[in-house]
Amino acid sequence: MNINKYPEIKPGVKYIKKIYIAVMLFIVGRAMQAASRIDKTIKKEFEDLPDGFTFSLGILPNGPYMIVGKNEKGKVKYMGWNPAGKKLDLKMGIKNMEVAFLVFSFQESTTVAFAHDRFIVDGDLTNALAIVRVLDLVEVYLLPKIITKLAVKRYPKWSELSPVRKHINRILIYVRTFTV
Amino acid sequence: MILPSYYEFCCRVKTISGQKALEKIPGALARMNSFRPMIITDKGVSGAGLIKLVSGAVGKKVKIGAIYDDVPADSDYKVVNAIAKIYRSKGCDSIIVVGGGSPIDTAKGVNILVSLGGNNLLDYCGSGSVKQKLKPLIAVPTTSGTGSEMTLVAVIADKDRNIKMAFPSYFLLPDIAVLDPRMTKTLPPFLTAPTGMDAFTHACEAYIGLAKNPLSDTSALQAIQLVSQNLLKVVKNPNDLNGRLALANASALAGLSFSNSMVGLVHNLGHATGGVCHVPHGACMSIFLPYGLEYNFHKVGDLIGDLLYPIAGAEVFAETPKKARPEKAVACIRQLNQDLHDATGGRHFRNLKEITDRSGKQLVPKETLPLIAKTAIGDGSKVYNTEEITYDDALMVLEHAYEGIPLNRKLIKKGGKGQKF
Ligand SMILES: [Fe+2]
Repeated sequence: MNINKYPEIKPGVKYIKKIYIAVMLFIVGRAMQAASRIDKTIKKEFEDLPDGFTFSLGILPNGPYMIVGKNEKGKVKYMGWNPAGKKLDLKMGIKNMEVAFLVFSFQESTTVAFAHDRFIVDGDLTNALAIVRVLDLVEVYLLPKIITKLAVKRYPKWSELSPVRKHINRILIYVRTFTV
Repeated sequence: MILPSYYEFCCRVKTISGQKALEKIPGALARMNSFRPMIITDKGVSGAGLIKLVSGAVGKKVKIGAIYDDVPADSDYKVVNAIAKIYRSKGCDSIIVVGGGSPIDTAKGVNILVSLGGNNLLDYCGSGSVKQKLKPLIAVPTTSGTGSEMTLVAVIADKDRNIKMAFPSYFLLPDIAVLDPRMTKTLPPFLTAPTGMDAFTHACEAYIGLAKNPLSDTSALQAIQLVSQNLLKVVKNPNDLNGRLALANASALAGLSFSNSMVGLVHNLGHATGGVCHVPHGACMSIFLPYGLEYNFHKVGDLIGDLLYPIAGAEVFAETPKKARPEKAVACIRQLNQDLHDATGGRHFRNLKEITDRSGKQLVPKETLPLIAKTAIGDGSKVYNTEEITYDDALMVLEHAYEGIPLNRKLIKKGGKGQKF
């Protein structure tokens, strides 16, 4: 038996990146749903969006994606990873996997990524900006300051939110992201 | 010079600049296989006899299909829909737009409809909807400011919802820009001043914005120099044709620059103020520009310092210590606003408080500032500003601009120093 005939199957780096991004999108999507019930600012941002508003954030051209939307009662829901058959009001796409990895591994801040034309936004820009603000806040809750600082233009001063509230919110969002 | 790790730059507008540039239009149309253009313009332009000039230069060789001369001061989607109908019924095959920002934006909107089909521009909302080559579009700017002849975006208002929608696409770049000083000669000084400041602002914001790059920088610095050297001169002597041509070039250069590197706080607040209070764009730009620079000192102070060279010239630049250059640049801009204010008999505004319409009514009452701030955070240009802009930030800057006092920089919530590009 010639062992060289059976080369070791290595999962490609690209494949690993894709899984990493898919997991990140899942967590962010779930966290948006959780945070919309806990953080007042995020709640308000969603309230200002039109009823039934649904958007996707994903990697072009083949995903992964995450879809988040408001249902009829105005509740924010993470609606899975598959955009097929869903009516989307806003599609936000990162141009390719390599760039997406830069963004999701915090090597390139969302801000700089926008400036580098990495995003393609299909839909109303005002709504897109509201979603970007929510994403920034969700990152602030989910990740330690040292990482989030790389991703957002300005880390919010917690003096603007009582420290007790902040930690309670953070814990609640964590719990809800991974359980409910 | 800053070389970003990544950037994109695109300009494919053929530019024809000179004292007799208009006469080149028929040949240019023929090369695009178009023989029946529609002219789109506004009442001010046609009233000043400029359409006569254009049809005189074009009409001998080409049959003009239709002339629409009733574009309002704020391009509105309903007007776009109406013009598209006329274009179709008259069987036109291209567009010549003569005017400032509003007619050019309107014409771009019309081009979307007549090229892609449909009766309502709102169906094409969002940045991904124009994906193919449109009908030939020739832009003849009559103000030296908006730079719309070089930009890939059409900004169109929805007056019912009190918002401005942006339609960005590379296919909205005009095919040809015609810069002929005869077209701007009749622009009165009180309009020349703010439109010139608009071009100036485009260049400054492009130079300090997040998407700056070496190609946009080059055109930005040239534009700033052309405005600094010519604006006050032309305002004082409106018949200075060389000065007019210089300003037309500045506007095109600045348009080229910001179209590829985007704008920031100044336009963010300017769009919002224009949308809420119907203040002319140029007036907002003149007022907000110093604040837009001050607000970003901690992020891009060195870049703002660079601006002093094209603004004030080699000597002033050399004798100002590096540290003092950003503040000196801002001081020069405030001085320019003051000089323009004096040269126009007070019709060039220095702060929000003194903006009035023709009947003397104050256009931006203090109570509207919160609404303007709220509108601003929904406007796309905030994305490209190096510092974050929240509702509180916007309101803080607006309050300073209302009084016309320098920004109290202690009130800026700084998200770190410096900026990676
Ligand atoms: Fe402008």
